[in-house]
Parts: sequence; structure tokens; C-alpha cells
Amino acid sequence: MKKNHFRKIDKILEIPKEVYSNEVKITIVGFEEIVIENYQGILEYEEYFVRIKTYTGIVNLNGYGFNLENLSNDDIKVTGKIEGIEIERLVEEEHVN
Amino acid sequence: MLIRILLCYIFGYIRVSVEGYYIEKLINICTNKKIVIWHLKRDKNVKLYFNIATQDFKQIVKIAKKLQCHVKIEKKKGLPFLLHRYHKRKIFAIVAICILAGVVGLSHFIWNVEIQEESGQELEGIYQDVVEAGLATGTLKAKIDTKGIINQVRLKRQDIAWMGIELKGTNAIVRIVKADSKPEIIDETEYCSIVSDKEGVITKINAQNGTMNVKVGDTVSHGTILINGWIEGKYTGIRYVHARGEIEAKVWHTKNIFIPYTSTETRETGNFQNFYSIKFHNFEINLPKRLSKFKIYDTIESEKKIRLFSDFYLPISVKKTTQKELEEQQKTYQAEEAKSIGKQQLEQELEAEIEDKSKIVNKYSNTYEKEDGVEIYVTYEVLETIGTNEKIVF
Repeated sequence: MKKNHFRKIDKILEIPKEVYSNEVKITIVGFEEIVIENYQGILEYEEYFVRIKTYTGIVNLNGYGFNLENLSNDDIKVTGKIEGIEIERLVEEEHVN
Repeated sequence: MLIRILLCYIFGYIRVSVEGYYIEKLINICTNKKIVIWHLKRDKNVKLYFNIATQDFKQIVKIAKKLQCHVKIEKKKGLPFLLHRYHKRKIFAIVAICILAGVVGLSHFIWNVEIQEESGQELEGIYQDVVEAGLATGTLKAKIDTKGIINQVRLKRQDIAWMGIELKGTNAIVRIVKADSKPEIIDETEYCSIVSDKEGVITKINAQNGTMNVKVGDTVSHGTILINGWIEGKYTGIRYVHARGEIEAKVWHTKNIFIPYTSTETRETGNFQNFYSIKFHNFEINLPKRLSKFKIYDTIESEKKIRLFSDFYLPISVKKTTQKELEEQQKTYQAEEAKSIGKQQLEQELEAEIEDKSKIVNKYSNTYEKEDGVEIYVTYEVLETIGTNEKIVF
């Protein structure tokens, strides 16, 4: 209840969602750069495939020549030729809890 | 994040390659422990390259040991490693420091004094005056008192309307505006007479105030009094006044030239040679190739100061000496030819001298033939208003 209350204030103040929650934000710049904010960790990293865990699911990137340019606690920048982005949702029950 | 990476460039960073199976785990541990790694690149299946700050390297080795990964240093980058590479080259370091100190030291002095005159009017000896006032090449910039120099130069010279000194780098720019020289004005209340300033024959004289001293047809020379500054009355006696009047006179402008029948003329052939020498104050080093290959030649010298940037002059200058080859040519004139050439030349000179061409009354020319040439005289008769005020001194 308290959490919801805060969310309402945040909505009124128009604070970005990724700041006050663990919602993932994916920004694609051109076809060769992708920034994922609010990530949890890297599950797999190959030259042709990157699997990134976030709080709401897993993001799979397909392509080739992937580099991880910047790594920080909250966001990650991947560069390379991106050919596909896949999203694996976590099971709904888990999300509600 | 970006600032931390930039700091790593200063404090040094290492390009590391890690080989093993749990590479993703290594990345996650690094992010959890807040170890900054960047530019990650996966090579084939088992190898990972990344950059890491030098102080975090020990931690990475520990983590890799736990994960049974093999760590290898690929490259060391950044300032500390660069300095370490050069730390044995002592002479290089000393020379580098000397050059740096030299440039910094030299930048505290003035090495070039540039004088800019407004609208191209030239002032004679201004450079000398500026140097005497204290703005010479080689003086410390901190010791230059621009206001004092300006005052000193302006006190010394009357023909400066405005003067400004700007110190830019090692260059001192002196900007000068020339003052128009004004004639001496005699006050209306003071007594004066009108005096001739040219030689000529009076054609018209009209005194508004004062007594006429000359008549029409009189020949006057420089300094003859034209209108006296007093009026003599029968009963009042001599009364001094401010003389006023108009005097017009025929003034002769004469020029002469001697043109020999045979003359040698020099002409440029178009060939030239450049010599360079390096000059440091009064010390000059000639670069080789000094002897000229021409028999007759003109030498033109130009000096250019070396500068590092736009306004950073150095006390070294390059002197360029250009030698232009000349050719001698014998020329012979007939008497008539010489006369016409001489006349034309003199007429051009005279016409450039006379401002109002409509006032030219007569043109005379005389020629005297001699053994080896012709002497030509050209005279212009011009109507001019003459006379200047001169104060009467009692």
C-alpha cells in the first residue's frame, strides 16, 4: 500500500519509471548500439550472442561482433551488428510476488 | 563512469586477456564488487579481452584463480607506463625539459615591436623613439609600463594624435594615429602684416585692412612684405591693425633635366638567386652558397622573425638576400628625341606638383644643346594666391 502511494507521487512528478522502479529500459541507437538500463547480470556472453538478465525477464541479443563497451552497476552498453532482440518474460506469478 | 575511465588513462590501465569457462561469472563478480572494466571483447569461445585499472588488477587475479581462469597481460597503457618507458633516456628528458623551460622563459620577453600607423602615414623615427622610451626587443614584459611609454613618446613628439600599445604574446603592437599639422593661427586681435611666401609677379592686390606695400607688376621674393599691418592717418598717426587682403601673383615653377645622348640603362633579366642566413640579435650565421654567379646585380634584403604561434615571436630571424641579375644596355638618342623625352618628363613632374591646372597661364621650355647631351628647362606660369600672416613684433 505504501509502495503504491509513492508510485502515485512519482507519477505526478513525472519521474522516469526506470529511476524509481526496477523496470528495464532498452535503448537502441542505430543498428549497432544498444543500452540496457536496470540489468541484473550477464548470463552468457559470446561474440554472436549476449544474454542479459533483468528484473522482469531476460534479453537475448543475436548478431555478430559484440563488444561490451561500458559496464556499470545499473546499465550496460553493447555494440556490434545486431540482428535480433528477443525477450523472455519471467513467469507472471514470480512477478506478482 | 566516464570520468573514472578517463582517470584511468592518467593513472594507467592494463589490457587483460582471460581464458576459461566461467567468464560471464567473472564479469558479474566485477560489477558486483564495483571493479570498473571496459571495452570487453570476446575472441573465439574461451578468451575475453578487457581493460582494467592497474590498482584493480590484483583483485582480478584473485577472482580468476577462484574461477580457474588464466589471466594474461596484453598491453600496459597510460601515462605511468609511458614515463617508465622513457625513464632511462635521461638526455631526452633533460632536453625536453630544457625546451619547455626555454619556451616558457622566452615568452616573458618582447621579441618583436610592430608599429602600425593609421592609414599608412609614415612617421619618421618613431621606432627609435619607442625604443628609447623603453619598449625595445628583449625587455621583460612585466617591466613594460605601457602608459609611461605612451606619455613619454607623446611628450617628445608633437605629431601624434593617439597612441596605443598592445602586448600580444611576445609581440608588442604599437598603434599610432598621426595628427594633422595645423598652421599657426594668429589671433584676430593681434597686429600682423601679410608677407609673401613665394616668388612671383603681383597681378592683383586688394587690401581690406592695412596699407599696400607693393603694386601690380612688382616682383616679390620670399619674405617681401605685401600688406603692412598699420594705417597712417593724417591726424591719428600710425595705427596698428590686423592686416587682411587678397593678393594674386604669377608664380613660376621651373624644372630642369640633363639628358645625355648616350646612356647606359640597366634592366632586370629576370634571373635571381636567394641566400639565407640566420640572425640572432647581432650574431649572424650564413648558410652556404655565398658567392654570386652574376656579374652585375641588385641586392634586396628582407628579414623575417621566426614565430611559434601567431603572436609568439622568437629572438631568431631568417634573413633572405635576393640578388637580381641586371643587364646593361647602351642607348643613344638623337637631339630631337632627347628633347622630347626630357620635356615630357618635366611636364609630368610639374603637373603632378600643381594642384589647380586651370590656373596655368603659360608654359615655356628652353633647350641648350651641349657636346654630350641636351639640357632642358620647362617653366610653368601659374596664378596663385600668395601671402601669409606674420606677427608684428615691437
